[in-house]
Amino acid sequence: MKNASAQVEHEASTSTVGEDQLYYCRQRGMTEEDAMSMIVNGFCREVFNELPMEFAVEAQRLLSVSLEGSVG
Amino acid sequence: MLQVENLTASIGGTPILKGLDLSVGSGEVHAIMGPNGSGKSTFAHALAGREGYEIGGTITLDGQDLLDMEPEARAAAGLFLGFQYPVEIPGVNNMYFLRTALNSVRKTRGEDEVGARDFLAIAHEAMALVEMKEDFLYRAVNAGFSGGEKKRNEILQMAVMQPRLAVLDETDSGLDIDALRVIASGVNSLRGPDRSMIVITHYQRLLDYIEPDFVHVLVNGKIVKSGDRTLALQLEAEGYADFVGEEQGAASTSLSGAVS
Repeated sequence: MKNASAQVEHEASTSTVGEDQLYYCRQRGMTEEDAMSMIVNGFCREVFNELPMEFAVEAQRLLSVSLEGSVG
Repeated sequence: MLQVENLTASIGGTPILKGLDLSVGSGEVHAIMGPNGSGKSTFAHALAGREGYEIGGTITLDGQDLLDMEPEARAAAGLFLGFQYPVEIPGVNNMYFLRTALNSVRKTRGEDEVGARDFLAIAHEAMALVEMKEDFLYRAVNAGFSGGEKKRNEILQMAVMQPRLAVLDETDSGLDIDALRVIASGVNSLRGPDRSMIVITHYQRLLDYIEPDFVHVLVNGKIVKSGDRTLALQLEAEGYADFVGEEQGAASTSLSGAVS
């Protein structure tokens, strides 16, 4: 795991995004939910870059699931 | 513009700020200097609304009660914090981050969002201020940036956000003299009658480049002395020892780990 402050479990459930990252985004005006979505998407993009192409495409598709309600 | 009255902040019952008063007028630049552990960064985060502090007293910005507002609402009200330790956001490019930030505050203020082409023009203008190259926009936010690049990125963000009040927390730390000059020149070009700044620093050196209207000495959670630029020069020559009593010195040393 390259980013120790994010924990990504199997089934793509998001548990903890770094408090510092959230605070940083919110200080720049983003809502908590928008910030969470951006941080998680970015993190996943980094991970997908390490995957073989066929997995990356599928994973990218799955990532478009709503992160609504994942804040907290 | 900014009124801070009897501000207190503690972490887990440990008091850090102990009744801080500060008044900043429109267009003014105030420097806050103090030894490690005096509460400088805590003050910056209390203004920005970081969670985890027990806060007392009042903070108003243009008459709005900041303490009642979430961090993002404070940003929309015009508060910008230049972080001492800018945070890395892997996989999110700088351009996307900046545009999302700008449009977030615009949306909150009921203004139209800025489209991609218009934003590029805004970004290029801001980048010129801090002498950044084009590729900077397409790198992940602060990821793998050098210390100087991170600090320049903070000023770039400030230039894009055009805040009413900019709080710069140890923007000079970890910079060599060339990077310091670039950053100071960027900051100076953002000075104006409608924008105020609070420049937090440990060292007088920064104030040679960003000349403040007022200097305040923060010791043990309180402003113990205020003056003009000459106060910073006096501190440079004599250190903080005159302002730190025996007891206060011990207290600030023991807190240095908690508030950095």
